[in-house]
Amino acid sequence: MEDILVKLYEMTAFSNIIAEPSFIVMYLIAFGLLYLGIKKHYEPLLLVPIAFGVLLANFPGGEMGVIQADSNGLVEVNGVMKNIWEMSLPEIAHDLGIMNFLYYMLIKTGFLPPIIFMGVGALTDFGPMLRNLRLSIFGAAAQMGIFTVLLVAIAMGFTPQEAASLGIIGGADGPTAIFTTIKLAPHLLGPIAIAAYSYMALVPVIIPLVVKLTCSKKELMINMKEQEKLYPSKTEIKNLRVLKILFPIAVTTVVAIFVPTAVSLVGMLMFGNLIKEIGSDTSRLFDAASNSIMNAATIFLGLCVGATMTSEAFLNWTTIGIVIGGFLAFALSITSGIFMVKLFNLFSKKKINPLIGATGLSAVPMASRVANDIATKYDPKNHVLNYCMSSNISGVIGSAVAAGVLISFLQ
Amino acid sequence: MENLSLGLMLMAVGMITVFAILLIVINLSKLLIVVVNKFVPEETVVKKTSTPSAAPIVIAPDTMEAIQGAVNIVTGGKGRVVKVEKI
Repeated sequence: MEDILVKLYEMTAFSNIIAEPSFIVMYLIAFGLLYLGIKKHYEPLLLVPIAFGVLLANFPGGEMGVIQADSNGLVEVNGVMKNIWEMSLPEIAHDLGIMNFLYYMLIKTGFLPPIIFMGVGALTDFGPMLRNLRLSIFGAAAQMGIFTVLLVAIAMGFTPQEAASLGIIGGADGPTAIFTTIKLAPHLLGPIAIAAYSYMALVPVIIPLVVKLTCSKKELMINMKEQEKLYPSKTEIKNLRVLKILFPIAVTTVVAIFVPTAVSLVGMLMFGNLIKEIGSDTSRLFDAASNSIMNAATIFLGLCVGATMTSEAFLNWTTIGIVIGGFLAFALSITSGIFMVKLFNLFSKKKINPLIGATGLSAVPMASRVANDIATKYDPKNHVLNYCMSSNISGVIGSAVAAGVLISFLQ
Repeated sequence: MENLSLGLMLMAVGMITVFAILLIVINLSKLLIVVVNKFVPEETVVKKTSTPSAAPIVIAPDTMEAIQGAVNIVTGGKGRVVKVEKI
């Protein structure tokens, strides 16, 4: 009787959980993330699948946790070291479980982030950027946080590849952060994805905090429409529809020539946008890209990223470094955008509201909405949303280019 | 130290590249605007005209009879059909 009870106890996950209480910490993290996603509505489309992936990955015996291959591609399968790239997909599914099959097929190959970028492109309107082209340059200034944190992280002892993956959180772009990490430091994928999406969800908290610390009331009251009336821009767009169709084609071509490693992200972003802008002729493709494909990709991306967060991969000092470094990267990106505007205002008659610099990081369109809320708080008539969208959208291109540079130098 | 100098180099190259690419994108877009303005006819904005008042719907007598019959059943003979509209 006692033997049966012992065997029953060993059959369940209790024995492993009691032997390794770190699993309980991971359950608490999963429950916390689920709470933030469901109750607090923090990026629920991604946080809920990620959190559930964390939960699935941490049941001993469930074989749902992602097993990371070492730098030579070796993984331990039933006590034998095997090269993951020499294993067939059915073999991976059989020996390592279904989650590893999904991870090595969809994530490790770098397949899903560009697919999500295609969906993002299909949902993005480049109109505000084309109408306010000169404001787009602030999307470049806001990438400074990426490279500053890269330096700080190297000084703290991270390898250049890990530091680059950490710094890219400052781009405030989930798919870009995931894509860069897959290429440079896949063992950090879980904590980096969590940090990136958590800080993106915290944009309504982080931007006002940085703006409060760096901007004066007078600066925040700069009214963009009044500036536009005082110093009207010379360019007038006579046919925005045609321009919007030509734009993605031209940008893809240029980026492909200068930074080929960024093409998988920028190219797919622009393809998604092109099928949106063509209109009824490609409406079925647009519908697929922005709905069914995007949704399916989001589910698998979230679950697989969550499944990389096994207790041994997540509960260490590196994760804490990523959480702190990620916040620093985010805040520095916002700050550098603001200071670029301040610098610009020193030499220009036509003043720009510093909030437009603050939205130079990606996180479209939440960053712009938050900036607009701040502006209208100081002056209810000062709507800066359209102007912020210009730097906000160019920030997406900027962070993808920054990722391309990092990948091409460090891979 | 070697890694730090690599980091500094990446910072310089990365920021220059990001600025350069966005400047190219901005100037390319300006060029596109000039080309489109010159060679593509101006976009005509189709103003939404208010829909003309719908023509009175002609209901076939047998359909009208069926509707009245249904209303009679539901209202116990007290109801009366005043107007039939297509939604």
